[in-house]
Amino acid sequence: MMRSRILTIVLGVAVLFSGMLLASRSSMFRLPGNHQGYEPVQPIAYSHRLHAGEMQIQCQYCHFGADKSRHAGIPPASVCMNCHKFVTAPLGAVRAEDELAGKEKRPPRPIVSTELSKLFNAVESSRPIAWTRIHSLPDFVYFDHRPHVNAGVACQQCHGPVETMERVRQVADLSMGWCVNCHRDANRTGIMGKRVKASTNCSTCHY
Amino acid sequence: MENQYWRSLEEREHFGDGGGEFQESPLRQIEPDQSRRGFLKAAGFAFAGGSLIGCSRAPAEKAMPYLSQPEGLVAGRAQYYASTCAGCSAGCGLLVKVHDGRPIKLEGNPEQAIGRGATCAVGQASILGLYDSLRLRQPLAEGKPTSWTEVDAAIRSHLKRDTAVRYLSGTITSPAKQAAIDRFLTQFHNAQHVMYDALSASAILDAHQQTHDARVLPHYRFDRADVIVSFDADFLGTWISPVEFAHDYTSRRLPPDRSWHAQFEARMSLTGTKADRRMKIAPGEIQERLLRLLRQVESANAGGDEVAERLLRSRSRSLVLCGANDVDAQVIVNQVNHLLGNYGNTLDIERPSRQRRGNDRELAKLLNEIKAGHVGALFMDGVNPMAELPEPPELGRVGLVVSLAGSLDETAERAHYVCPDHHYLESWSDAEPIAGLISLTQPAIRPLGQTRAIIESLSIWSGQPERAYDLLRQKYASNWERSVQAGIVQVEVGQAGPPAKWRDGQPKPPTPPSDSSGHTLVLYPGVAMLDGRHAYNPWLHELPDPITKITWDNCASLSPATAASFGLTDGDVVRIESMELPVVVQPGQHDSVIAVALGYGRKASERFANIGPHWIDRGPTVNAKGHVGENAARFLSLDGGVLRYERAGVHIAKTRRHIELAATQTHHTMEGRAIVQEVALKELGKPPETADVSEELWPPDHPTTGHRWAMAIDLNACTGCSACVLACQVENNTPVVGRDEVRRRREMHWIRIDRYYSGTPDDVEVAHQPMMCQQCEHAPCETVCPTLATVHSDEGLNQQIYNRCVGTRYCANNCPYKTRRFNWFNYPREDRLANLVLNPDVTVRTRGVMEKCTFCVQRIQEAKINSKHNGAPIQDGDTRTACQQCCPASAIVFGDLNDSKSRIARLAKDGRQYRVLEELNVGPSVHYLKIVRQEDQRNG
Repeated sequence: MMRSRILTIVLGVAVLFSGMLLASRSSMFRLPGNHQGYEPVQPIAYSHRLHAGEMQIQCQYCHFGADKSRHAGIPPASVCMNCHKFVTAPLGAVRAEDELAGKEKRPPRPIVSTELSKLFNAVESSRPIAWTRIHSLPDFVYFDHRPHVNAGVACQQCHGPVETMERVRQVADLSMGWCVNCHRDANRTGIMGKRVKASTNCSTCHY
Repeated sequence: MENQYWRSLEEREHFGDGGGEFQESPLRQIEPDQSRRGFLKAAGFAFAGGSLIGCSRAPAEKAMPYLSQPEGLVAGRAQYYASTCAGCSAGCGLLVKVHDGRPIKLEGNPEQAIGRGATCAVGQASILGLYDSLRLRQPLAEGKPTSWTEVDAAIRSHLKRDTAVRYLSGTITSPAKQAAIDRFLTQFHNAQHVMYDALSASAILDAHQQTHDARVLPHYRFDRADVIVSFDADFLGTWISPVEFAHDYTSRRLPPDRSWHAQFEARMSLTGTKADRRMKIAPGEIQERLLRLLRQVESANAGGDEVAERLLRSRSRSLVLCGANDVDAQVIVNQVNHLLGNYGNTLDIERPSRQRRGNDRELAKLLNEIKAGHVGALFMDGVNPMAELPEPPELGRVGLVVSLAGSLDETAERAHYVCPDHHYLESWSDAEPIAGLISLTQPAIRPLGQTRAIIESLSIWSGQPERAYDLLRQKYASNWERSVQAGIVQVEVGQAGPPAKWRDGQPKPPTPPSDSSGHTLVLYPGVAMLDGRHAYNPWLHELPDPITKITWDNCASLSPATAASFGLTDGDVVRIESMELPVVVQPGQHDSVIAVALGYGRKASERFANIGPHWIDRGPTVNAKGHVGENAARFLSLDGGVLRYERAGVHIAKTRRHIELAATQTHHTMEGRAIVQEVALKELGKPPETADVSEELWPPDHPTTGHRWAMAIDLNACTGCSACVLACQVENNTPVVGRDEVRRRREMHWIRIDRYYSGTPDDVEVAHQPMMCQQCEHAPCETVCPTLATVHSDEGLNQQIYNRCVGTRYCANNCPYKTRRFNWFNYPREDRLANLVLNPDVTVRTRGVMEKCTFCVQRIQEAKINSKHNGAPIQDGDTRTACQQCCPASAIVFGDLNDSKSRIARLAKDGRQYRVLEELNVGPSVHYLKIVRQEDQRNG
């Protein structure tokens, strides 16, 4: 009787374990801490597809901390206002209003799109915009953008094709294995033709 | 009651009520099966279900950038602002590391002449004062919070032109503040500014008034002295300007121009541990000994006395000092120095020190005026007379008492109005520690409360409100930006009066000791507490005293002979007059002396009642009165115009009590191993004996081709000041554990300073050895970790990965140096304000995780990333560990062994170099340089 019970328990654990293993490989079931695919709604529906894709604004124009600090940072509202001091609505809407004004023989009214009015409200009322952070590593990891940017790793390599995203989502699973694999590959093949020394020491990221 | 443990499975059926001893479990209503198994079944399901539900995302994190980011500010990068430390009146320059708009670490300013890039333990710890949640946030009127307008109106209404106003302060080195005080006091016919120092050097100043017609404190130049003779002046520990003195002194401790240092002292002080010759002397004998020296120098005949002989051979390059606050003794010292021609070289009175300006005579006069009821208004700034003076002033007889303290100390409690000053890290100010050297203080953070700078308060009460910033800007208008950036202003020192000139006089005969019976009680400032101004600071309380290694207490030190004669050992409580203190046996102390540290028993230490982990076996940190230690200030005496720190004719009475002292080192022997090594001066230069290291068993399959980090510690330079211990604690977020945990040897300091005694009981020699993780190449800790939480990096570091550690503690067991510290508890970090000082670059460890020195790997990482960014390889000095950076004696050197141009590469091959427990062949990366001892003289 004892042997049968032990066998049941061992088989049960084995089934559970392999079940978890298989399930974690499928994209439907993620282990805790894996936020791949996270695509939260942001307070302002900022479109990277428009700014980074269509207008081809460089990543580091806004995320200027990437080569100077550990955090690339989300741009302060003053960076947005560099352009949006003047740009208050899509060009089409502005032109339409101009035409209408011409027809009605009156000066054109200023048009402000709904999303941009959120930005202007925040600036005027001195309330910083509370963006929802998407790429977030646990507290025991010290990730630093600088060595990656300085080595020539493209932003898209880890963050995916951000310039095509209406709403930013996390493309990679950002697990330690994913990071270490890329470090090992980079040590073998280099980055953009240059030899690199991507450290695989524990204390490079964990201190 | 009978044990209810299960002995077998069948027994669980008989698991019953227990006879009604225990309350009805509420679970009985829910579960039909009342046994533990039933509960676990239900709980198990709940836990399993809960974990599945918890498989969702972590809570959303918000990222909130600035609306308008200040130029040059990059999130995550620290900025450094030059300022001046106000931990004591020495005025060392600082570089304040500011991260995310708040200061988190203080480093020395390498360009400032006092600190020269170093700080002391008190300076390092003073940052915690900024984040003190018990600091006053707004002014108080009769103990109740009020507004500045009310307080200003009330104070101005009390002050009339004929009010007798007295401004009582500590030494003011700030010219701007001095000007503000003077401007304020000119409004009144009868006004006086009285300065006093709780650690008084008034006798030195008065002696110079007698001998040089100028009340000055010389600027002592230890770097210019070939011979230093100190009578009870602890210049490396706490006397006047220890950081500068330690730096200068250490620069002369190696051949070819090694100085000779003799110390006459009553108790074992830090300075005494470094002396070439140390002689025990009772406090009452100092004047007599000085007179003898004077006669020897006058007659140019040493009479076989080595001290006099050496002094006579080094005219104008010697320095005779006395720490006793006794005018007669100091006059003799001045005469000796004058005869030896030292004035103008090792004693600079043309650019004198302004670090002690107190006048005990005027203090005594003021106390009498207060007692007689002649003082109409008393302002107190930077002093705590109720706790610091033997007889507290009778403040009840003063019409208006205003305290300008930053927190509610013993004196502020009795003030009518408390007008709290900013913390120095929030202030605009200046300091002139040495005449002609101006050091600026700029704020590193906006004031956290509604406090107000004293300069501004005084200007408002003078009727001409002005901001501190405006005052300073006007004063230093030329080159303002550069001065503030560098923290220093070069000023030509004009002669304030006629140059100090020697005036001949006859020395007075020695005063015979008044009571030869009993013992002499000597009161001294501890390295951590000084005069008690930092009694709020838990880091300083937990810092082991460099000599006794005791924390969270002050004790009565007795010499071994005296303790034996009374039958006392460490921890036995004795009664000295009205005070009860535990005894600590101190080798090297004079037999007639009982030494007690000042600065304890303060109201500010009441906050430590609940410090440390709260668990079932917890012991108290504070004593029965609710304080840490006892306030020994009642044994001071203010007579003859000086504050006396010795009291003769004191008797000790044994009590039956015994307490366990919280000491970090009770083991004094090296167990026959050469842990601290010395070399005689004449043996220097000879090739060292090779260490007995057996053949290498490990194959050389871990080459270090990149960096190879290593450290060298010069034991000859280390004074034991413990600044490194504090700097490491601030940098690495090391927790405070409280008295009981220290008693259990669970203090968390990553670097400790071991103190070893050697020599004979009459001539004790002391060695200090900083000890931290040796980052062994063949680390015994790495091989035994079951989860590989400690592994070796390819740059020679032994890494500790906190998230992998499960708390087996096998690594600490295996460490031969016992440098690994285990987090036995989640040490309380509920004080949100104090948490602002945490370094964001270092993980805060939780319970169950092992930690140890990492060679400041976060700084190494930063340097490597910066070098990749700049495209330039790391230079020697780009990365410095916290302990290295703060050391006043520059005893710690860290760097890359594979960099042939680095200092460490050179020191690793030095003739004095050795490694601790080298015979174990664990391959430590920390090299020690042997202490250099003069072998020729050995008698007391």
